[in-house]
Amino acid sequence: MPRALEAEGVTVRFGGLVAVNGVSLALDEGAILGLIGPNGAGKSTLFNALTGYVKARGQVSFYGRRVDRLQPYARTRLGMGRTFQIERPFEGLTVLENVLIPAFLRAAGPAEAERVAYAALEQVGLADRALQPSSDLNLARRRRLELAKALAVQPKVLFLDELMAGLNPPALKEMIGFVRSLADSGLAIIMVEHIMEAVTELCEEVIVLAFGEKIAHGTPQVVMNDERVVEAYLGGADE
Amino acid sequence: MEGLAPFLQNLSGGLLIGGIYALIGVGLSLIFGVMRVINFAHGEFVMLGMYLAIVLFVQLGLDPYVSLLIAAPAGFLVGMVVQRLVIARLVDIPGDSTLLVTLGLGLVISNVLFLVFGAEPKSIYLPYATRTVMLGGIRLPVAQLIAGGVTLVLITGLWLLLTRTELGRAVRATAQNRLGAELVGIDTPRIHALVFGVGMALAMAAGVILAPLLFAIPTAGASYTLKAFVVTVLGGLGSVPGAIGGGLLLGVVEFMGASYLSSGYRDAYGLFAFLLVLLLRPEGLFGRTVKRV
Amino acid sequence: MTQGPDAPRGAAPAARPPRPSLLASPWPRLALVAAAFAAWYFVFPSALSLGITLMLLAGWATAWDLLGGWTGQASLGHAAFVGLGAYTVGVTAANFDLAPWWAALLAMAAAALLALLWGRLTFGLRGAYFVLSTIAIAEILRLVAINERRLTGGAVGLFIFDLQEPFGLDLFSRHVEFWFSLGYLLLVLVVVALVTRGRLGYQMRAVREDEASAQAAGINPVAVKSWAFVLSAALTALGGCLYGVFLSALQPQPLFELHLSVRIALVAIIGGRGTLFGPLVGAALITLAAELFRTTFAQANLLIYGLLIVLVVLFMPRGIMGELERRVVRRRYAKSARG
Repeated sequence: MPRALEAEGVTVRFGGLVAVNGVSLALDEGAILGLIGPNGAGKSTLFNALTGYVKARGQVSFYGRRVDRLQPYARTRLGMGRTFQIERPFEGLTVLENVLIPAFLRAAGPAEAERVAYAALEQVGLADRALQPSSDLNLARRRRLELAKALAVQPKVLFLDELMAGLNPPALKEMIGFVRSLADSGLAIIMVEHIMEAVTELCEEVIVLAFGEKIAHGTPQVVMNDERVVEAYLGGADE
Repeated sequence: MEGLAPFLQNLSGGLLIGGIYALIGVGLSLIFGVMRVINFAHGEFVMLGMYLAIVLFVQLGLDPYVSLLIAAPAGFLVGMVVQRLVIARLVDIPGDSTLLVTLGLGLVISNVLFLVFGAEPKSIYLPYATRTVMLGGIRLPVAQLIAGGVTLVLITGLWLLLTRTELGRAVRATAQNRLGAELVGIDTPRIHALVFGVGMALAMAAGVILAPLLFAIPTAGASYTLKAFVVTVLGGLGSVPGAIGGGLLLGVVEFMGASYLSSGYRDAYGLFAFLLVLLLRPEGLFGRTVKRV
Repeated sequence: MTQGPDAPRGAAPAARPPRPSLLASPWPRLALVAAAFAAWYFVFPSALSLGITLMLLAGWATAWDLLGGWTGQASLGHAAFVGLGAYTVGVTAANFDLAPWWAALLAMAAAALLALLWGRLTFGLRGAYFVLSTIAIAEILRLVAINERRLTGGAVGLFIFDLQEPFGLDLFSRHVEFWFSLGYLLLVLVVVALVTRGRLGYQMRAVREDEASAQAAGINPVAVKSWAFVLSAALTALGGCLYGVFLSALQPQPLFELHLSVRIALVAIIGGRGTLFGPLVGAALITLAAELFRTTFAQANLLIYGLLIVLVVLFMPRGIMGELERRVVRRRYAKSARG
């Protein structure tokens, strides 16, 4: 039974700089994997490599199928969905139209696409704002729109890039509960996060990245007490 | 040895005109490299330079190579003003707005030139410049030699400015990473205005230099803009040495094509080279920045 | 996830979701356009040529907009397709006595092929390069038309003397040309309306707004741009065929020149990119203004075009219809939120 997502030796080079160095990971259906690390560790770059937005060496497999030569849209079509750290709504369009676009991927026609889109909007609580121009939304709602767009492609593996950043405590709790329910329904989720509350509550497994390398791997408790991890976050005593 | 002389003749002709193409293109390349702006009015600034030289020659009897001293600073000032007033507003709007605005600007300029000067081709007749000299068996027109020499001086000056001065360093820093440059205290809006000014000064200078060589018609701006783009793509957008290489290459390709193939397609050879480079090596023959999405 | 505190009380997620917020069905307005131009024929019988050029320009601009407005890839070389259409009719009629309707199909196929090849090669590059390549290609076609004298008559040009008559209609009659041009405009409007209301239309807009986000939605940007380009090219070429017959005297300069490409783009930009009727509005405005101020316009038309582009881009970036549409969308949302 192939795992939902497997990555082996992923390496990303920008000119002379090695941003991600030989990182491997694996993810199962219904599981939530956390990706943490200090700023500049290469987490978003790793995400971009896994989803195809950045050229990388190494192997990436989706349910046993190699995807590392595929363009991002091809990976999406297979079932890899993602959100972007800085939200990317389709500016000139309404909320509904924003979600219609990804909904068209799996839908036979406009009517079905509309249904899928509304379902996704209801899941994130934006259905009442369907006709609002997306450029008029505040941060929290833009975040939810971003999530709705990712859900509308009906992914099997979901990449969440700092979904929890900037949310106030009630919104944060809601979002955590929502992500939990998504995993319970069978999605495999990998999330880049800085908000430790979300990581400890959601992730069974955590990978820590520093300077592009995987320096720790385990449950949240184990990893956060790991000396090397603490040092990576604090920057180390001698420079 | 029979075929060599005409070959060298063509080569030298191509290099000389190529030098001028380089001068036209380097301003555009610089502007794009630093500001990521496509300046569709570039050719019209070249025309402004040409007409300015003609006016100064006809009214004041000024030799065009002297007019350079007026044209270049004038171009610089106009460029800075245009950048501050118009282009700066569009810096953060994505999409093709700057392209369209500069296109509109170009149309305005060419029409104003038409209204002021009419459609008849105009030129400058310099008696000393119509002669030719023999150099090692090759006949070289004096006008083009002078043009080539002045171009060399200007481009060397630009290169020195960019590599040897504090300002030049600031410009290159802004080109590499605007945010980074701001973080170390560089006043990027001012750099943008300066660079646009320099680009326009170079364009006008190119126009002045061209005045004794070609006829000026108000609608020719578009073809110079196209030449400038071909030069910058050949050399790599944003690369000054690349623009020089690109310009020389364009000149040679045109000359060779016109001589050995069909002369009616002279302008097309450059366009073919341009398309070829776009397809096979979009970062240009000498460029570094990656162009593929 | 709950609706949040500001959800309208008692408004359940609508049992019947409202239609996606494209503006209301375009068909009534299309009928209005048809009626208006039909009326033109009867009310201004001495201005048929003006009507023809207006409708052709509107058709070209609407076709251009598929690529330049809906997909966000501005082309400054669409004159290439106009000329291709005109010359295909002229050359095949002169050399092979080919009926113009076959010539039109041939022209559309040639335009589509050109767009397909050229698009595949350049759409992988950054946007600016595409625009430059369009200018280059139109220029190359112009040079070909000038140099291949045996085929195209060179700079002097080609005359279309004789054309087969469809259903006994004389294609050189301004009356016949008027109705064909109206048919052409309506055809373009219908095609664009159908495309933009469906899947491809949404994909085009996604590619326009944000290519990375479009990829995350499973959209292949190069394929979408190619489709838009192919449709746009074929429709423009068809209009070019009509234009060739209208002119009867074909010359490389006016048919392939940059100014024609610019005018087509400009008209769409002023009227409103990415709107169905924007390009038509722009074409009507520019053509009628040019007619009214004919003497001053002829001298200063580029000046006016240039100023218009600058003003529109700086102050009214969505164009006339675009700004209007934006307001309607906001009002519609406000109404729905009030319940």
